[in-house]
Amino acid sequence: MFNLFENPKNLPPLPAKSKEEMPHSKLGIKYKEWHNNHENKHKWRNKRWAVLLLINGLFILSFALDLSMLEGSLSGSRLMGFYLMDPYNALQTIGISLIQGHFPNLTMNFWIGLGTIVLFYSLVGGRTFCSWICPYHFIAENLEKLHDYLVKKKKIKEHTYNQSLRYVFWVGFLILAIATQQLVFEDLNFVGITSRALIYGPGLILIWIIVIMIFEIVYSKRFWCRYVCPVGATYGMIGKVSPVSIKFELDKCGYCTDCQDVCLVPHELWFVKKGAATKEVHYTGSDCTRCGLCVDICAGDALNYTIKGLEKLT
Amino acid sequence: MSKNKTDIGRRQFFKTGAIAIGSLAIVGAASNYLKANKKNDIPDTNILRPPGAINEDIFVSECIKCGLCVQICPIQAIKLADIDAGLDYGTPYIEVRSQACDFSCDSLQCVETCPTAVLDFQQFKREGEKAIEKYDKEMAGKQMDKNYNPFKVQIIAMKEHVKMGIAKLNTSTCLAYQGKGFSGSVRDSGFDGVNRSPYTKDRKATPVVDKKYSSDICDICVKECPIGEKAIVMEVQSDGTKKPKVLDACTGCGVCVMVCPTEEPSIIIEPIKA
Repeated sequence: MFNLFENPKNLPPLPAKSKEEMPHSKLGIKYKEWHNNHENKHKWRNKRWAVLLLINGLFILSFALDLSMLEGSLSGSRLMGFYLMDPYNALQTIGISLIQGHFPNLTMNFWIGLGTIVLFYSLVGGRTFCSWICPYHFIAENLEKLHDYLVKKKKIKEHTYNQSLRYVFWVGFLILAIATQQLVFEDLNFVGITSRALIYGPGLILIWIIVIMIFEIVYSKRFWCRYVCPVGATYGMIGKVSPVSIKFELDKCGYCTDCQDVCLVPHELWFVKKGAATKEVHYTGSDCTRCGLCVDICAGDALNYTIKGLEKLT
Repeated sequence: MSKNKTDIGRRQFFKTGAIAIGSLAIVGAASNYLKANKKNDIPDTNILRPPGAINEDIFVSECIKCGLCVQICPIQAIKLADIDAGLDYGTPYIEVRSQACDFSCDSLQCVETCPTAVLDFQQFKREGEKAIEKYDKEMAGKQMDKNYNPFKVQIIAMKEHVKMGIAKLNTSTCLAYQGKGFSGSVRDSGFDGVNRSPYTKDRKATPVVDKKYSSDICDICVKECPIGEKAIVMEVQSDGTKKPKVLDACTGCGVCVMVCPTEEPSIIIEPIKA
């Protein structure tokens, strides 16, 4: 069983495997052969992109063709009449409404929508939203490659910051919303703005998105998603208890760290480095977007989707 | 060595954290400045909030900009504001000259769908229930009305409770005030607004440009008013001429503005602060 409060990072690391214990030795093949053995290279990525495009496509078509399948936007929506609410947006609204006295008027649909989202993402893993739903992610995931290319060509330098920065923004924007009694963040929210622009048509506000997009390409990789976006941070908090996760099995790992290279949140895969793992089995944490890129690339099948607690049944 | 490393990490975090807080403060100050220096908190003439909008100050702070009201409107009268619209970004509005709310959904769906109740449906629900109660009381003991339709009674009461604004006539350009009539189509052929006239049996709104009018004294605003004679009438003057007059029950839906045949509409909607 897994322990919520134990941090495996603080345990003493296990000794690195000897050559005999490496997966390619066990299979009796050369490392290079084993390493090139990638099948279904983009299986999960394709599935994920399909889901992302389907969800956002449903939003667009629901409005364009009056389909009434998935209405609204990612700030708040209705899936076939059933409400869904963005949790950070809802949190700010609750805060403001308590001050303004509007709180009792918030509709039952609001609470149902918020409850559904919180429940759903606490089951499937919070930041799953980022890589499986968020339309900005789809753009950024592809722009990331351009950024990596520029770094590789030494045209630009990589700039990284502390991951905890987003909690500063998370608290900051919440305080700001309550202090100014306005949903300040919604005017800057990448999720909301891109979603609305897709559904209801683009506007001048996209200038803001483009500015940050350029900043992300030429200065700091995924700056908004990693260090600012409080929506993602909220989903990360919700997903802390999620049983759906990526499972890492040390005995199948060949220390190639390919997974960390493709990972959208590489700090989550801290245990794949040689001699870093502290346990035979590791699970990714709440920042993991469950994107499946590492699952796709792993030659040794050491990384897989799992549902904690249900592993023994399968 | 490792202690040194965490030290650097911590220092970097405080540095970037300070920049983050600084930028948050700028954002906060900017939004406060914009809020304080907005020309007026209610939108301009002929630009309205959707039906049932609560006090503008609370409206803009509690509207989550989800767009559900935009989606549900069958005639797409509601739009979301871009940053150059002079309204708060993402908030819904109705521009009545290009597409007014003609109540053709017959149920104030946009209000009912709002999750944060900045379009407050409760007031309409109460109003509708009251109307049915009143109707039942009036009909008590009498013979059952064959055409009795509680939905109709309810929706009329709900509609009449809407107060988005009030219509004002510009008497210097109004055709009726000049004793002129009008015949033909009220808007240019490119106009894509729709309207469901109260006198037709059409269940759906039809394009405004498809309708041909012909009257000796222009009374199109009175004809097309979805509320009817409680809201606007042709008043007979002492000299025998007829002129339109806006009454208290005007909901400010803006259909009259949309169908006014003069180049600049001779009737406008002044938004009302809820």
